[in-house]
Amino acid sequence: MSNRMPAEDPLIRMQRDLKRALAKKPGDVKWGMVIDIARCIGCHACTIACVAENKLPPGVVYRVVVEQEIGQYPHVSRRFIPRPCVQCQKPPCVRVCPVTATYKNEQGVVVMNYPRCIGCRYCMGACPYTARCSDFGDWYTSNTPELPGKVVGRTATAKGYEARPAAEYGEDWPERGHGSPVGNARKCHFCLHRLAVGMLPACVTSCVGRATIFGDRTDRESLVFEMIGSPRVTRWKEELGTQPAVYYLA
Amino acid sequence: MRENSFRILLGLGVAGLIAGSLGMGVRLILGHVPMAYGSYVPWGLWVAFDLLFLGLTAGAYIIVVLTYGFGLKQFESLVPLSVFSLLVSLLCEGIIISLDLGHPLRVYRFLVTPSFSSMLTWLVVFIVAMWLIFIPFLYFLLREKLVLWSRDPGRKGRKIYKALALGRTEYSDADRERDRKIVRLLALVSIPVGFVFFAVPSAMFTDMLGRPHWSSAILPISYMFASYLSGCALVTLLASVYHPQEAVFGFLGRLLRGFLILFLLIEFIQIFFGYRTDNPVAVAALSLITKGPNAWIFWGVHLLLGSIVPLYLLTARPRDARAVAWAGFLIVITFVAVRYNAVVPELMAYDLEKRDLFFIHRRLSQAYVPNLYEWLVSLWVVSLGIVVFLLGTRWLPVTPAEKGGEQHAS
Repeated sequence: MSNRMPAEDPLIRMQRDLKRALAKKPGDVKWGMVIDIARCIGCHACTIACVAENKLPPGVVYRVVVEQEIGQYPHVSRRFIPRPCVQCQKPPCVRVCPVTATYKNEQGVVVMNYPRCIGCRYCMGACPYTARCSDFGDWYTSNTPELPGKVVGRTATAKGYEARPAAEYGEDWPERGHGSPVGNARKCHFCLHRLAVGMLPACVTSCVGRATIFGDRTDRESLVFEMIGSPRVTRWKEELGTQPAVYYLA
Repeated sequence: MRENSFRILLGLGVAGLIAGSLGMGVRLILGHVPMAYGSYVPWGLWVAFDLLFLGLTAGAYIIVVLTYGFGLKQFESLVPLSVFSLLVSLLCEGIIISLDLGHPLRVYRFLVTPSFSSMLTWLVVFIVAMWLIFIPFLYFLLREKLVLWSRDPGRKGRKIYKALALGRTEYSDADRERDRKIVRLLALVSIPVGFVFFAVPSAMFTDMLGRPHWSSAILPISYMFASYLSGCALVTLLASVYHPQEAVFGFLGRLLRGFLILFLLIEFIQIFFGYRTDNPVAVAALSLITKGPNAWIFWGVHLLLGSIVPLYLLTARPRDARAVAWAGFLIVITFVAVRYNAVVPELMAYDLEKRDLFFIHRRLSQAYVPNLYEWLVSLWVVSLGIVVFLLGTRWLPVTPAEKGGEQHAS
């Protein structure tokens, strides 16, 4: 049976692409993403999936879906544009980081070294896509009551979820509130920890419109490679010369 | 400085430290959680104060250049005091920017894993260079007096002076000559270092892509003159208070007036041509400064109190030490407005495609007004600077009354 059946769910194909990419040497893989704006229905599922996957605290978000209204009533339309970190291949954030806490890894993903980050927030101002957030140490449970023996209070609630560390970068982080990533800059990392175990990024698997395509952009057989070749493809703020690895199908 | 004025200023400084300790306590215990800045406006009031303190160090630089570069000996007696003010400014700068960091204890990373492509690294390099130049500079400038004071049986704190003199009890003509040469050498080294130092903070901003208000060739010039203006205002104030001789404060007053006029001209060019670019982000940033809800910072604090009134005082009463002191004082205390407008409006005006409306949190907002805790921390740091400076003028031989006659500038 052909592996290019038109009815095939893109997720199945991307999963197959991922399997093939993981069989390569890590340095030979260059991850890329294509976002088909025409397919995005503005459900924000990717945003929520990302927040849940990375256990993002209040005020930290890696992927906002921007909603734009075009025209004037009654001739109006809307479009939805997911805005993750575009993983620049010439990243301005890396250039300005004074302590090399952020860098582009061998697979072309701009990553954070949390224990190295001093929290100067220079990268956040330098990112022309404003794709970075600072983790100021906020808690969802900060204003919940604490009545031991009477209610499941703040501490117990926090321990049940948000105090538990996320799996970001596949590291064994301490319980939240005890050092990094609190005080650090944080950003989308294409869910490298999921990729390492053969899973697609959370925003990709949660996309109900299949608007987010992901894979090895150097693999000529991959869906992402095919999409990047589309005449509809654009890159955000291309004129800045940052060479994003996230492409948009307009 | 008269005893009464000294006591009042010291009292104000201590009161500021006490009031500001609330903000410091909150910052040290609760971290950044109670503060108003966020991810879209990541730098706020503390960065403005950081730039202010960096700029104030230019005062000593100007005095050193005038004394050692141009050989104007009338400023010689002002050198120790102005260099001491530089060290106090650097101390305040170091404290306030450390408080702004997410992980201040990791600053050793600048040594371990520095990135020389970052202008922030270069800023730190130059700050360290300033410390390394001006601490020995001041030490060798004061060493003779420290040795003398350590031997003076009637002087309080002799042990401290003995320690500061590193146990030396004798000071010969040869020592004096050697110290004079070291000071002169350090002064000459400081001239090119200082020249770059005052431009480096601007490079941090010009380095940011897609920020039209910052990515401008005039920004480094603007930052350099902003530093010269605020620093000159500080040393003019100090000269008028501690060394009210017309040859000194009169010259500095005229220099200050020149810097003020030049800075206003540069500011006019930035605003006029910024509007002329018609770039939406640049225009939005400028409009926040000139027409936004905080426009009073620009028109009232900076232009009226910090520019027009000092310009009038410096022009109408250039020989009146009191008027010149007021002019310097007004420029120094209002200059945080200039630094605030150099940092915050651009961040608030950046085009986020209304992203803050689709994922709502106070950290993801472009609205920023420094809150009480940020002001209290700033008050604490400023008060610390005032207290350290006043105590230094009392306990160290830095004021012209304690210093004089030495030919260290020849």
